[in-house]
Amino acid sequence: MENQTVGASVRKRRIRKEITAWLMAVWPLVGFCLFGFIPLVLSVYLSFTKLTSFDFSAAKFIWLDNYIELFTDPDFYLAITNTLIYALSMPITLVLGLIIAVLLHTGLPGSKFFRSVFFIPYVCSIVAVSAMWKWMLNTDFGIVNGFIRALGGEGIPWLTEAGWYRVSLLIIIIWSGMGFNIILFQAALANVNKSYYEAADLDGANAFQKFFSLTLPAISPTTFYLVIMGFIGCLQVYTPMQVMANPAPFGPDNAGLTIVFYLVYSLRDGLVTRGMGLASAIAWILAAAIIIITIFNFKISRKWVHYDE
Amino acid sequence: MNEQTSQARISRMKRILSDAGVYIVLIVYALIILVPFYVILVTSVKTNLEASNPDFSWIPQNGISFDGYKKALDMNPIVGKGILTGFLNTLWINLPPTLVGLFMSSMSAFTLAKIRFRGASVILMVMLLTMMIPSIITLTPSYLIYSELNWVGTPLPLIVPGLFGSGACLFFMRQYFAGLPTELVEAAKVDGLGDFKIFVLIGLPLSVPALISQLLIIFIGRYNDYLGPLLYLTGTDFYTLQLALWNNLGAYINDWPAIMAGCVVGLSPLLIIYLCTQKYFIKGITISSGIKG
Repeated sequence: MENQTVGASVRKRRIRKEITAWLMAVWPLVGFCLFGFIPLVLSVYLSFTKLTSFDFSAAKFIWLDNYIELFTDPDFYLAITNTLIYALSMPITLVLGLIIAVLLHTGLPGSKFFRSVFFIPYVCSIVAVSAMWKWMLNTDFGIVNGFIRALGGEGIPWLTEAGWYRVSLLIIIIWSGMGFNIILFQAALANVNKSYYEAADLDGANAFQKFFSLTLPAISPTTFYLVIMGFIGCLQVYTPMQVMANPAPFGPDNAGLTIVFYLVYSLRDGLVTRGMGLASAIAWILAAAIIIITIFNFKISRKWVHYDE
Repeated sequence: MNEQTSQARISRMKRILSDAGVYIVLIVYALIILVPFYVILVTSVKTNLEASNPDFSWIPQNGISFDGYKKALDMNPIVGKGILTGFLNTLWINLPPTLVGLFMSSMSAFTLAKIRFRGASVILMVMLLTMMIPSIITLTPSYLIYSELNWVGTPLPLIVPGLFGSGACLFFMRQYFAGLPTELVEAAKVDGLGDFKIFVLIGLPLSVPALISQLLIIFIGRYNDYLGPLLYLTGTDFYTLQLALWNNLGAYINDWPAIMAGCVVGLSPLLIIYLCTQKYFIKGITISSGIKG
């Protein structure tokens, strides 16, 4: 009898403890449900409707028409092509970031200073950075062309010719994104177990052999993280395209038109003609691509990512 | 004997050469990062006439002129608001969600790391998945929801969701709390402290470095956010700094000193904060991605 009441009060206390724990832990999840999950579900539905105002009740179900409209719009294919071109920033940033990190890892005097410098662009507003590059890449009085002319070359139409315009945007994206990769690679390099290298030295391995057969596998979890996050990020870059866009709205020959730009434009400027349903459909096409790439990345990661311990 | 010394000399030469090579690459890359900042700084204090000269001058030839700063800090002729208004708006719009969100994420992280309760793994799994969802999917329906709530044109869409905390911050803080000795929590329990009090009195004070680094990362992300304000702050009442910089670009076409002065003003606060706190920063970035370091 007495045992039972003790058991009941213990259970009561346990339940109260569980409730407190939930009340403390649940807020980010609540936030996600309200501002992430509900919009997520809504966007699936919206992508099958025509809605050209902000009145949700006016949404008309039109099955796959939005998707058909997109896949018959040549501009959308251009947006896909451009997005893929700008996605090249990911592998470039990855390789260059690793090279710089390896150089920093040699631990020469001053490497801390260099690391601090290389990380600066991470804290810089992309609007300001884009404006800065817009000035430096100006065909007539930009410093980059000034430099090329000083070397005896001819000025490059960085911002006025579609091909160079894409190169310019890639430069901006890479310039801003490198610091993050460098820092992460450097931290990963610092964590590689030194005894591996000693063993390899005894076997007479040279620097390249050590790098490719020891270092790369040892830092592969970091590389994998950067690939996953880099892909999700680089397919959604938007701000530099918007800031650089001249002539409006998408730059020369629409070279700055990406999938996300297409979406934002449909939402802000083309709401009446294109509508929210279409914008949702665009988002889902991009999301599907991102999800497929991410799953694919996880699948092949088993072949090249090595987790210690 | 002689052969040995010459071999040693060759290997020393090799070393010096390779070190020089490393320095050359690092210096060139450092210049690629730093020169643009010098260029905007020097352009911002030139006269417009000099800035439009095709021959770029590294030092202002006609003396230093603050016309650019005057224009940049003055009201934007198109919008009727200045860059300082944008700066203040950015501060008050972003500080509350940064601080409250950080508190919520940390509280959740502490509970998940140090207190055993049913469902902890579910919360953790779901929050991990949320980090993988491309933010672009929810853009349109969120816009619709906010406009149904009459929030478009107000800063509420930029404030309210952030108050709940985020998956990224949650994981960072959980990683940190997991590294704290469990005995501290157990001892506090023996003293009869409740879980919330343990978090506030023990968890928070012990995690100050981690909190600072998260505070910086969250605040910098929000300070530099452009798409959010562009979509939701349709009027000019709540004009943020990034919108001010963007509007300057439109208002001062070809007046590069004014545009560059705006960039200098906009970039300086974060650059100063970064230079003072980089230790936290770099540590924060590496821990949040799961690398010890």
